[in-house]
Amino acid sequence: MPPPWRALSGITDLSWASWHERTIVHLNVADFAVAVERVIDSRLKTRPVVVAVPGQNRSAVYDMSEEAYQSGVRKGMAVQRALRLCSQAVVVAPRFDRYERAMNAFLRHAQPYSPLIEAEEVNGHLFLDLSGTGRLFGPPPDIAWRIRRETRQDLGFDPIWTLAPNKLVAKVASRIVKPTGEYIVQDGEQEEFLKPLPIGLLPGLEAEDLLLLKDFHISLTGQLSPWTPDQWRVVFGRRGDCLHRLIRGEDPTPVQPAGQKEEKIQADFPFGDDTNDWQQVESTLFRLAEKIGYELRCRQRVARRLTLTVDYSDGIRTQRQKTDPSGTANDFKLFAWAGTILKLAWSRRTRIRCLKLCGDRLAFPSAQRSLFAETEQENRRRDSLMSAIDRIRQRFGKDMLQVGIGRCRAPAA
Amino acid sequence: MSHWGAFHNGPPAAARTAGRIFVGTCGYAYPDWRESGFYPPDIRAGAMLSFYARTFPITELNTTWYQMPREEVMERLLAQAPTGFLFTVKLHRSLSHEAEPSRTSSQTAAFRRGLTPLLQSRRLAAVLLQFPECFDRSPAHRRRLTSLLELLSGLPLAVEFRHDSWAADKVFAEMEKRQVALVLPDAPGLSGLFPPLRVATHRKFLYVRFHGRNREQWNRGGFQRLDYDYTEAELQEWIERQLVPMADGTRQAFLFFNNHVRGQAARNAATLARLIGDYGLELGKLA
Repeated sequence: MPPPWRALSGITDLSWASWHERTIVHLNVADFAVAVERVIDSRLKTRPVVVAVPGQNRSAVYDMSEEAYQSGVRKGMAVQRALRLCSQAVVVAPRFDRYERAMNAFLRHAQPYSPLIEAEEVNGHLFLDLSGTGRLFGPPPDIAWRIRRETRQDLGFDPIWTLAPNKLVAKVASRIVKPTGEYIVQDGEQEEFLKPLPIGLLPGLEAEDLLLLKDFHISLTGQLSPWTPDQWRVVFGRRGDCLHRLIRGEDPTPVQPAGQKEEKIQADFPFGDDTNDWQQVESTLFRLAEKIGYELRCRQRVARRLTLTVDYSDGIRTQRQKTDPSGTANDFKLFAWAGTILKLAWSRRTRIRCLKLCGDRLAFPSAQRSLFAETEQENRRRDSLMSAIDRIRQRFGKDMLQVGIGRCRAPAA
Repeated sequence: MSHWGAFHNGPPAAARTAGRIFVGTCGYAYPDWRESGFYPPDIRAGAMLSFYARTFPITELNTTWYQMPREEVMERLLAQAPTGFLFTVKLHRSLSHEAEPSRTSSQTAAFRRGLTPLLQSRRLAAVLLQFPECFDRSPAHRRRLTSLLELLSGLPLAVEFRHDSWAADKVFAEMEKRQVALVLPDAPGLSGLFPPLRVATHRKFLYVRFHGRNREQWNRGGFQRLDYDYTEAELQEWIERQLVPMADGTRQAFLFFNNHVRGQAARNAATLARLIGDYGLELGKLA
């Protein structure tokens, strides 16, 4: 059989730029806070470590070492419970400034290789888009190795690296090799790679989704492969399309350029005692909306997307979001908007430990006036009320003027 | 008995593969091979192996140098390749180039575990231990090599040295005693580099790697050192000078081209296979 080439003169009809295969590397320092603490104090290397504020009964676990994880300790768990599960663990107070410095140093090791590096939070995760860099720096696995080696030498961390055609698959691959190692998934292998894996490894599937899929006796991703988009929609409604793409390993989201993190404003409130009192939660939500609204107005921006995160006392987290193309910075509108999200997110009877509200997709306020005179008048009235409230608070302090709903207290037990 | 013990330190008698001389390339998933015309322009990396196997019956897996072999990955590769297609596997770099003595034992165990599907399906032709140019014949390096050979014993091993200090009769005698194949490199004849020899240390197989003869670029490093296009005359001369005297009728031979830049490895491998066929030697192909 003759070899299958078509033209070997060195000049062909295919231009390199026409090929859009993406090469994404995910670098992950497992249990980042613990890794930093262990670099600072090498005695911690031989013991299970829990990072949490020590000496407080209500303190929650911020991070834990692999040994503590294997003993059942999880993020968000009360420290007392964590210590019951892993009695040998050393509790270390979190030092966020050090984690941030370590994260910046980690980022600096990756920066020479791509302008597209994403590090959303201080958690030891970096995504690099190395598409098309092969001729500059060599094969992408070589770059990943280089970053790993230099990070180990200079910082003392041993990051996992994975290489895949998108962020989703790279992240799942990291979860497989954790706490140390490497993994390569080639373009076109995404679905085959995911098929034998437990569905719990897929980012984007929440606890309720897993429970729902358990009703269908589904535990592996491959069992979902035959589902058509219509079948996904029957079970999951509008999210069905997203989830259908998820189990096929499709993820078109780009790697955000380094230093150009999307601007967002967030506020959270950890309840002193976990609660499921509607009035108390609603009141808290208003205060969170107030904080975000005030910050938005200071920056002269509006938020076009709100995300509400509900942390329950058993460690389960629910997150829901809604977008509004016109956006707002008005406390009352933000509160009404957040209220509709709360109804979606608060789906369990378990008590709530913490509420977090985040506004992003920030934009300048629209200059477009409302088509209807009544709406326009109402908008102006609300905006001038907000301006008046802001002026009073700026002059006399922010507690001088309070809105009734934000001051609601929980009824006595 | 362990599952690899059954192979008696030699490659599998590939029941569904005819012939003795197998020609392939070091790695197969190079994006620029689309550009050079070996692969169709729209082929995805995950589909390259089955396409590659239409031309060659064997490949040297170099991803295992970057990524510790894992059973599920090897199973996916086996599913993509036709029956009888053979693999040689390059040793993970944490064991050859960036060795950490404290982790050698656990890393070797992980490496062996990852090869299980290839061993069970009798598709592992050899394991390549390639050492860098700085790996000379110092006592420390000799101890490291001995330790590795012991930890990997039972597997069909081939060792490639780059440093010329290893070109010594004592080394070859020890390799023969241990039944470890010496990799015969075809590279630029530069001083300090392991020379092209005609030495067979394994009863059952020869292992040859064609790196190209790019003298100007060799010491600059990077993939440009592998930018070389063998002429048909050079390959013909190599067959007569090296292959014919060593092909004594009992050994298999695994010949790999590493000059992958612009698809030259695939093109040269196909040419060599044709010339070997023309010479009347038993060329390995998928039955």
